[in-house]
Amino acid sequence: MSRNPEEPVYNRIEEARVALGLSRQDLADKAGVHYQTIGYLEREEYSPSLVLALRIAKSLNQEVSDLFSQTPFKKGK
Amino acid sequence: MWKLKDAKEIKILGITVKPKNKIYWIEGVTEKGVKDLLNNENSKFRWLRPQRNRRILVILMALGLLLTSMGSYWPTLKTNLNLSTDVSLIVFTVTAIFVIFAMVLGYSFLRIAVRSIADAPDELLDERQIAVRNTSFRYAYRGFETIALAVILLMIIGPEVKMFQPEGNDGSYLMISMLFLGSSLPSMVMAWRERDI
Repeated sequence: MSRNPEEPVYNRIEEARVALGLSRQDLADKAGVHYQTIGYLEREEYSPSLVLALRIAKSLNQEVSDLFSQTPFKKGK
Repeated sequence: MWKLKDAKEIKILGITVKPKNKIYWIEGVTEKGVKDLLNNENSKFRWLRPQRNRRILVILMALGLLLTSMGSYWPTLKTNLNLSTDVSLIVFTVTAIFVIFAMVLGYSFLRIAVRSIADAPDELLDERQIAVRNTSFRYAYRGFETIALAVILLMIIGPEVKMFQPEGNDGSYLMISMLFLGSSLPSMVMAWRERDI
């Protein structure tokens, strides 16, 4: 359930999470959300609010702009 | 941030104190109850979580609601089925007790199946769960409106029904099923629509 299906938000949450060796539950605990929400975010079925995007970026030691984009990420970048 | 309510128990001067479990009277849930259901490690009632099982529960609940509302038209049905007074009394009593018990059980299972998200207050949910809950309420409200309109039309053009009638069609069963419908419809919508709960 995207906030606006016309304007999808792409992300690299799964890639960053796996790189840190975190499970979905670990990231959910850090970001203060339910683990299912992390699944929805990783599948790009839900676009987070700015506050949640900032919390996730902080939990993954990344900048929001590195993690979220309005255009699809190129693989391996 | 650590909060007092998150602590399982606190020891003060050798005395163990358990923080109070907050009760949300309007929502009809407790903080511990919702947190237990939201906890992934809680394996209780896990069989209720797959969407297929949730949808079966929604269908059973809808059938239960239909049966309960039909109780209002039992005198008319009884006449049409040519049942004797004794047989009809037994059939009606047994069915009514069974259906109402099943409805209460179904309603409880439905709330468990959706982890009480449809009833929980904002402070116990994350932003996606709040959005899902709000969408379910929006659909449930529209659904209830449509069903209420259908019931009003049935009362106008269908067999005569009056409230609390010892003889004739008693509208109180229709009222009971509408009350059950109103309280369980948001959970039913959520159980039906959401892929993962």
